[in-house]
Amino acid sequence: MQLDEDQVLIKKTLRGDRKAFEELMRKYEKKIFSFVVRMVRNEETAVDLTQDFFFKIFTVLDKYNYEYKFSTWAYRICYNLVIDHIRKNQTQVDSLDDEGVTSHDLLASDNVSREDGFKALARAETRDYVWNIVDQIPLKFRELILLRYIQDLKYEEIAEITALPVGTVKNRIFKAKEILKKEMEKDGMLV
Amino acid sequence: MACLSDETLIACNEGSLGAIEAARVRDHLLLCPACRETAAHYRLLERALERPQLAMPPARLVPQVMERLFPAAARITSIAAVAAASFVFLVSWIYIYFDFSSSSLVQALRLTTDGTTGWLAGIIQGITSVYNGAQAVRKALGAMLRILFPAPLGVVAIAVAILGLSLLLALTVFRPRLKKAKRT
Repeated sequence: MQLDEDQVLIKKTLRGDRKAFEELMRKYEKKIFSFVVRMVRNEETAVDLTQDFFFKIFTVLDKYNYEYKFSTWAYRICYNLVIDHIRKNQTQVDSLDDEGVTSHDLLASDNVSREDGFKALARAETRDYVWNIVDQIPLKFRELILLRYIQDLKYEEIAEITALPVGTVKNRIFKAKEILKKEMEKDGMLV
Repeated sequence: MACLSDETLIACNEGSLGAIEAARVRDHLLLCPACRETAAHYRLLERALERPQLAMPPARLVPQVMERLFPAAARITSIAAVAAASFVFLVSWIYIYFDFSSSSLVQALRLTTDGTTGWLAGIIQGITSVYNGAQAVRKALGAMLRILFPAPLGVVAIAVAILGLSLLLALTVFRPRLKKAKRT
């Protein structure tokens, strides 16, 4: 079987090569940390969770199945770790289950301070503005947007990681984009 | 013709529509300014999402994981190994150097063996044979050293042993601590 770059590093790690595991961590630390920090919205917690993730990956590395992509397997572990943490500390984030929430409801809360669209546009790029809104949408939409665009995964891979049907993943991502567009329109970003 | 749904426009931007459906959407966009505008908005959004600014993890992240995974265990085992080796080395050396052949302990043990049976006799015989072995080594080393060096070497040997052990301990215990202190 032809092994990809990650799988070669895993083989080396399992043979006791510490440098190989360090290389694997260096390769994924930025994407994993970006995902985690946007999920938990707290840098220190994100650092701890990212470290816990790599620690866990190392301890279960011998259970990795070479038939699957390492990244998908790793992201699933990361996703479960973060979701577990959020469920245990639900007060820190938006509700996980608010089905009928509107974009206005999401952003109107007092603890969210946002500048109006024009000021934001003057101060930051559209990208930063959009990602700022992404940080504030409910978790069930945010997690999928993060998996899709930060981890650069396909709908099928996201479905595998989150254990959701592909149709649900697509619908939620569409819904998230509708929310984001409405917010951009409201803030005059799309005039 | 009715306007296109947001879902269709999003799918069109993502390139996930089939060829026929994509052609139908393109045709509609040519004729409908409202849908064209909405499609442009989604395109802008898609472009912003496709280029996320990744958060920079702190530099300590990976080193801390590595330290958590490897050196702690390694350090404990190396310290234990050094301590055990030092103990064995010092005890053997003291026995050899100070020559306990007239030691009442070993003599007493030898005498005890005669009247003892079973596992205790085995243990005593073991101890005395280790002692005899050490004596033999001592005699051999002593003879060799007397040939090589005319002066008494006991003090020099102790000094070298203590210096070597101190160096070994410093390298295994204090150096990583110094490194860690520098990092923090």
